[in-house]
Amino acid sequence: MADLTLKSVVKRYGTFEIVHGVSLGIEDGEFVVFVGPSGCGKSTLLRMIAGLEDISGGEISIGGRVVNDVEPADRGIAMVFQSYALYPHMTVEQNLSFGLRMNGNPKEDTDRRVKRAAQILRIDQLMERRPKQLSGGQRQRVAIGRAIVREPQVFLFDEPLSNLDAELRVQMRVEIARLHKELGVTMVYVTHDQTEAMTLADKIVVLRDGNVEQIGRPLDLYDDPENTFVAGFVGSPKMNFLAGRVVGADGKTATIELVNQHEAQLKLGLSDAPTPGEEVTVGVRPEHFVDAGKGACDITVDIDVAEHLGSTSYVYAGTGSREPLIIEREESRHGDERRLTVGIPAKRAFVFAGDGRRLR
Amino acid sequence: MTRSGQNRLRSFTLHALLAPLAVVWLFPLWMMAVFSTMPDHGIFSSDVVLWFGTSFTDNVRNLQADTDFMRALTVSVFVGVVYTVLSVMLTSMAGWALARYRFLGKTAVLGIILGTITLPYFVVVIPQFVMVARDFKLANTWFALIVPPLFNSLGVLFMRQSFSMMPPDLFDAARVEGVKEWRIFLYVALPLARPTIAALSIILFLHSWNNYLWPLLISSDRSMFTAPVALGSLVGLTKVSWGGIMAGAVLLTGPMLVVFLLLQRHFIAGISAGAVK
Amino acid sequence: MRHNRTAYAFLAPYLLIFLAFWVWPIINSFIISLHMTRVNPWRFAPGANWSRLFTDPAFFNALKNTLIILVIQVPVMIALATIMAVFLNSPLLKAKGLFRFAFFAPVVVGEVAYSAVFRLMFNYDFGVINKLIAGVGLPVVDWYSNPTAAMALIIMAVTWRWAGYNAIIILAGLQSIPEDVYEAATLDRVSKVRQFFYITLPLLKPVIAFCLVLSIIGTMQLFAEPFLITNRGGPGQATETLGLFLYRQGFGSGNFGYASAVAYAIAALAVVISLIQLRLARDPQ
Repeated sequence: MADLTLKSVVKRYGTFEIVHGVSLGIEDGEFVVFVGPSGCGKSTLLRMIAGLEDISGGEISIGGRVVNDVEPADRGIAMVFQSYALYPHMTVEQNLSFGLRMNGNPKEDTDRRVKRAAQILRIDQLMERRPKQLSGGQRQRVAIGRAIVREPQVFLFDEPLSNLDAELRVQMRVEIARLHKELGVTMVYVTHDQTEAMTLADKIVVLRDGNVEQIGRPLDLYDDPENTFVAGFVGSPKMNFLAGRVVGADGKTATIELVNQHEAQLKLGLSDAPTPGEEVTVGVRPEHFVDAGKGACDITVDIDVAEHLGSTSYVYAGTGSREPLIIEREESRHGDERRLTVGIPAKRAFVFAGDGRRLR
Repeated sequence: MTRSGQNRLRSFTLHALLAPLAVVWLFPLWMMAVFSTMPDHGIFSSDVVLWFGTSFTDNVRNLQADTDFMRALTVSVFVGVVYTVLSVMLTSMAGWALARYRFLGKTAVLGIILGTITLPYFVVVIPQFVMVARDFKLANTWFALIVPPLFNSLGVLFMRQSFSMMPPDLFDAARVEGVKEWRIFLYVALPLARPTIAALSIILFLHSWNNYLWPLLISSDRSMFTAPVALGSLVGLTKVSWGGIMAGAVLLTGPMLVVFLLLQRHFIAGISAGAVK
Repeated sequence: MRHNRTAYAFLAPYLLIFLAFWVWPIINSFIISLHMTRVNPWRFAPGANWSRLFTDPAFFNALKNTLIILVIQVPVMIALATIMAVFLNSPLLKAKGLFRFAFFAPVVVGEVAYSAVFRLMFNYDFGVINKLIAGVGLPVVDWYSNPTAAMALIIMAVTWRWAGYNAIIILAGLQSIPEDVYEAATLDRVSKVRQFFYITLPLLKPVIAFCLVLSIIGTMQLFAEPFLITNRGGPGQATETLGLFLYRQGFGSGNFGYASAVAYAIAALAVVISLIQLRLARDPQ
């Protein structure tokens, strides 16, 4: 059984606490992504799971066994580093077999594993080369190969695609997804890129400043964010946030005035009754705006820049002001307009309280 | 004047100033070589001889007769090699520990080692002698020639710097693969530190080869003289072949000069690395 | 990372030697200096050596000699080293390898070998130097019997030996100054000479300071040259340096206690002089 459990895991450097009691459970075979901005603690968490950092508090269990004091090598894990960490003075074949050789693994078994890994990753032609003779993508695959060779219970990835160019990144993303399908092993993947998270994960853990903001499936985070942070983090381009003031609420619906949009009023269903006069934030994704008149309320904006990408356009309004907006529209029908009126559908508008918490 | 004209003038002045300086600088070494090939009566004649003679082998013979120089050379080589190997091992291990681990007392150890650079050797040499010669009665032994000078702090700092500059992910990856620490050191860290080790070895060997004071003190027995000590013992004597002494000087410095010519880069790397901290 | 045991294991061999042959001797040296060691068995007499130090004319002679060498040789050598480094750094120089070899070779040559050569070269009757001097028509110098000449000889020898070493270090410092600083100055029509004095030298200060400290510490311990070239500090004690004095006391007379006190005095002096020198270098100019 290769499930992974974190119970109130804490990390402290001296008196400075950077991970504040994280608890989560990962099931056997799941692909979980830790995502969040730089410094949120995701890499630290990963390294604690790996055993490369000491655990200041709480418990980590792998396959039902508490591994707090177990050496990295004995935890049944394998890790792929952001910098690949290939041994520069060894060939690909030696890189793959190094760990096994050092531990006295029988030669046949080592050869078998190395061959298998090379085949899965399609690097069998590169076995005699040294890392500096390989391309970025090839090096990445060798790094993954090194992990496969260990036949671990849990795979750990520490921002493996950050050093690759955009096109390669897409390719490798697909490779990793394919790998997961083929091997069926539990994978924990750390990234700051929400696209990677959304496309690869079975389950996403959003982290900020050492705290878990939300855990859920990708589409859950997209459709049902817990707070402004998650709402703004997931989805590209970023969700638009409009300042609002509650004008009326009756326990089933609420009317919110959009302060910066010429006092447009939005009425939507809301059971968490906010107090009238309370200041809230309304979130609408760029892709959810509808044509004027087709939504719960309309807003009109002055267009600053329009980007035409062929099948979609992005309209930027209010850039530099307190409330910049991005609106996504189909095709590029609309040429040279200066103003745009769009509608906000009630069902796609999220309301957040002053502290960022989502009101439902 | 044109730009290139200016440059040519500058180049001329540069060479005009530097060339004589270089000649002056090379002069002693040149004379050393010349003297080593001249018979004693030639050296002590009133002619100015600036070119080689033919008496090199004679001088070597004289040298050998005056003091068993070949034996001394062998002693020097043996001591030098063993010293270098041991010192590289010790300093690389210590540098590794200081570079890559957090442990209790690390700052204290680092501080003491840094402190040793500033303290003159003289403060140490007397009690070292007392300890080794008097208390341990180990004068004239290989141990005495090799071990006490092993406390080379620059080597430790040098290796430490080299190891710190290696990407930590590399060692983490090995740890995750279950490779034991000493194997990581031996099979990953050391191979990557090869250029540093090369530079360090040269400097260490040179230091041992030329070391004069300590071997002078600790070896009173002729058979345990290192080459510099053997040579030095002749300098004060009256009935000695100076041609032989010069031949000895050539034998002493020749190899190191050749090594220097071939490995200039490593030498310079070693010396300047210690300085540009 | 908890790895205390492994770290100690790696550190232990070196540390053992270090503690045994460096730390302990330093402490022991101080202890010895507090003993009267002229006769066996040694007697504990804290004042004996230290008070003698302050009134011993031989010590002060050695101190005087060492300071003379220090004050003359070190600045001259550093200046020379800087010039060497600057010239070696010039892109206009041809046969760089040859020049480099010429200046750096002395570093490689051992103290004994070069002392022997110098001793021969400066021989009164048959030394090359005197022959050359006579050839030019100047009066010959008695290098070994004339105290001033002997001192000059030592200074010349030490300068010859160490200028190249310092030049290497200064050269490294020179090469770490980025090109654009000079390019900007040239665009501003600052002459090369001024560039040297107003850009290069100030930027080289830390490197030169480092060389100065190294040289001071080295000169304070000067031993082999006066021992071998001027025949143990001759004429008389005219070139007896502190190093030689220490050797004479400790290993000539076997008076380890006194020699230890002298050693500590040398160390203290070296530190003081270095500090003074560093302080002076830090003065805003």
